[in-house]
Amino acid sequence: MEPKFNIDRPKISDEEIKKHQNFEQLVKQFKQQSLNKARHDKSWWKSKKVRYSAVIAGITVICTISYLTLFKNETTQNKTHETLITQDTKKENTNSKKNFISEPSQKLKVNYTTYTINNAKGGEIKHPTSSKIKVPKNSFVDKNGKDIIGDVTIEYREFHDAADIIASGIPMNYDSAGTKYTLESAGMFDIKGSQNGEPVYIKKDKTVEVQLASANSDDRFNQYYLDTVAKNWQYIQKDNANTFLDNNHAKKEFDNNQKDGPDNFVKKSPKLQILKNEIEVVIPKRIDSVKIVYTKKIDAVPKPKEPSKISKPTPGRPTFKLDGSYSEFPELAAFNDIIFEVGPENNNYRKEMHEITWSDVKVSEGPIKGKNYLLTLTYRKQIEKLIVYPVLSGNDLEKAEKKYQQKFKEYEGFVEKRNAEEKRLMAEMEAKQKVYMANLKKKQDDYEKERVKLLVAFKQNEQKQLESSFNNMSMATKATRIFNISSFGIYNSDSPHGQPSGKTVTPMFVSNEKGTLINPDIIYMIDHKTKTVYNIAFNEGFKITYEPQNDYTICVFRQNKLYICSKNMFKATANKNSDKFTVNELAEGSDNLSEFKKALEI
Amino acid sequence: MSINPHFHHTNEQINEELIIIEAAKQNPERFGPLYNKYYKQIFNYLYQRMDDKDTAFDLTGQVFLKALTNLPNYQFKGVPFASWLYRIAHNELMQMFRLQKDRRAINADIGDLKYICEEHEEPFFEEYIPAIKKLLSELDEEDMQMVEFRFFEKRPFKEIAEILDITEVNAKVRMYRIIEKLKKSMSKLKV
Repeated sequence: MEPKFNIDRPKISDEEIKKHQNFEQLVKQFKQQSLNKARHDKSWWKSKKVRYSAVIAGITVICTISYLTLFKNETTQNKTHETLITQDTKKENTNSKKNFISEPSQKLKVNYTTYTINNAKGGEIKHPTSSKIKVPKNSFVDKNGKDIIGDVTIEYREFHDAADIIASGIPMNYDSAGTKYTLESAGMFDIKGSQNGEPVYIKKDKTVEVQLASANSDDRFNQYYLDTVAKNWQYIQKDNANTFLDNNHAKKEFDNNQKDGPDNFVKKSPKLQILKNEIEVVIPKRIDSVKIVYTKKIDAVPKPKEPSKISKPTPGRPTFKLDGSYSEFPELAAFNDIIFEVGPENNNYRKEMHEITWSDVKVSEGPIKGKNYLLTLTYRKQIEKLIVYPVLSGNDLEKAEKKYQQKFKEYEGFVEKRNAEEKRLMAEMEAKQKVYMANLKKKQDDYEKERVKLLVAFKQNEQKQLESSFNNMSMATKATRIFNISSFGIYNSDSPHGQPSGKTVTPMFVSNEKGTLINPDIIYMIDHKTKTVYNIAFNEGFKITYEPQNDYTICVFRQNKLYICSKNMFKATANKNSDKFTVNELAEGSDNLSEFKKALEI
Repeated sequence: MSINPHFHHTNEQINEELIIIEAAKQNPERFGPLYNKYYKQIFNYLYQRMDDKDTAFDLTGQVFLKALTNLPNYQFKGVPFASWLYRIAHNELMQMFRLQKDRRAINADIGDLKYICEEHEEPFFEEYIPAIKKLLSELDEEDMQMVEFRFFEKRPFKEIAEILDITEVNAKVRMYRIIEKLKKSMSKLKV
């Protein structure tokens, strides 16, 4: 039979073709087909299982009969059976927990801190993040409800950011009456209690208070408990951020940093100490020593003696004329008829003194050297002392006048010379002092500059220390969230967020270094705006939905390797409307929690 | 003979496809870009060989479902992924024609017939159309497929070989024989 032959048959429009194009339908069909195949396989397995079960059951019956024959102690048998059941249940629970909480990497562990507390005494545990655990006396019991005697080991760890949450493997999905949310955490903790490896429990009427240090002081969070059996978070109550405790803490931290104070900090600077010593001791000493040296030098310059002027007698004043030589007094030696006038200061002068023939008369230096003299008159035991002034008359006076003029001229020349020398020395001293003063000024400026520099450094350091303290203390400085727990487990202060409604893609991850495709084992997506971590499930087709205006980071775990699509890389893909996300592998050795946090840009 | 750009891929495009294929092997949801890219081509390929468009749409869906199911077995052999899809489509078609021969139809444009004449250095006149139609209809199924691939769809030999699961040399030899056969027949058109 020949086939039908059409020439120029009308073409089907693109619109019509598009109408039939339905990828979701195809995937649905594919899944249904896979499911049918699996059912078929299962039913086959079941039939086999039935056969095997029959064999196993037979063996069990034989074994049980043998066992009953050998050991008739029913109580022991029941107990053993009970223990076996307990162990099995426990194992099952552990497994289910393990599956539910699955750490994506062994290298990104958030480790427990172990504390010991005596059950009879109770007490308070202070965690490095400044969280506190308050344990009342006799709070713990064993599995039979009996009080624990002795010490209890408390294992405690906290999760504060996206990196901690991812590393923990704790799911942040929350199903509330069928509505799915993702939880934004303001802090989460995991607490366990044991004695000699056996778990302990919190007594019925007791609660342990956990004051969780939190980075978030918002009051929009609720407290939740992770039910690992129901595999969901259980709402406890509205959470309250207690910022009061935190402020005290922050103040305390700040006070600690301030304890030394800027003045002490500045004072401790060796450079400043050297400068201060130069300003206050070394340079002033040098200035003083210059002064001393030059004062001495000036003093050492010979001082001219002003010549005394011998005047004519004062009318009415008593005088004495003495015979003898004045070789002791060269200023008087040149004159022949020298007389001494009694000064008005002599209260002991009497007229009668002129009548007495004095057996001894002595002229010695007077109180004003070269100007007056001391006249000592002696007659037997009578001694009179008078201050006298030499006076001249006639030729002697003229002669004395001339001599005086000559001497005075000499004196003036000498004085001028001395003054010039003194001036020179003073100028020299001042020049030297000026150098020292300039040096002092420079040192003072240097001191001030250094002081200001140190103060700025102190302030900056203080600021840094505070910031670092805030960061290192993680969350302690912002708020404290109080949980009263009646059982051990995982607790969280959370705010639920609805699922993003923006763009949905099925992402492909391509290695930035090798260009190869990364098939993820696990995907986490961090929304930096809402601070939520989405665990992208395989059974939902590894689809991601994101709000194009928000910043995201994606972490892909594949065969113990960690790949990260940074904020910028994510943005670049989102802007291109592409589904191909470039990822960078976190290098071997950098795949620890602190490097992970850096890579996540949180 | 020029190659239809629809069936030609650069190395970059091929690599791009390989990344998607590897992703889709892990997760069927990632098959979307390939489905969207080739849906129209596969539909046209199928509809070109039959008359009923609804059947063509059904068959297209069938082809992609098979592709998705067998994707884990797909191995890159140096030709575009489309060739693998065409092979599935070809097998589906052949299976259908084995059961329902009457569904087979040949669809060509006048341009295609003109092209055949030109390739054989023969003039083309519209009056020849019935004769050419008759001539082509007399070809057996395998030869007709080669004509469709080479003259109507202008596919490279490498891809034809991939679709038909034969070697490239074999495809060329087959084509040579068909051309010789057609030459003889077409020379009769002048008479």
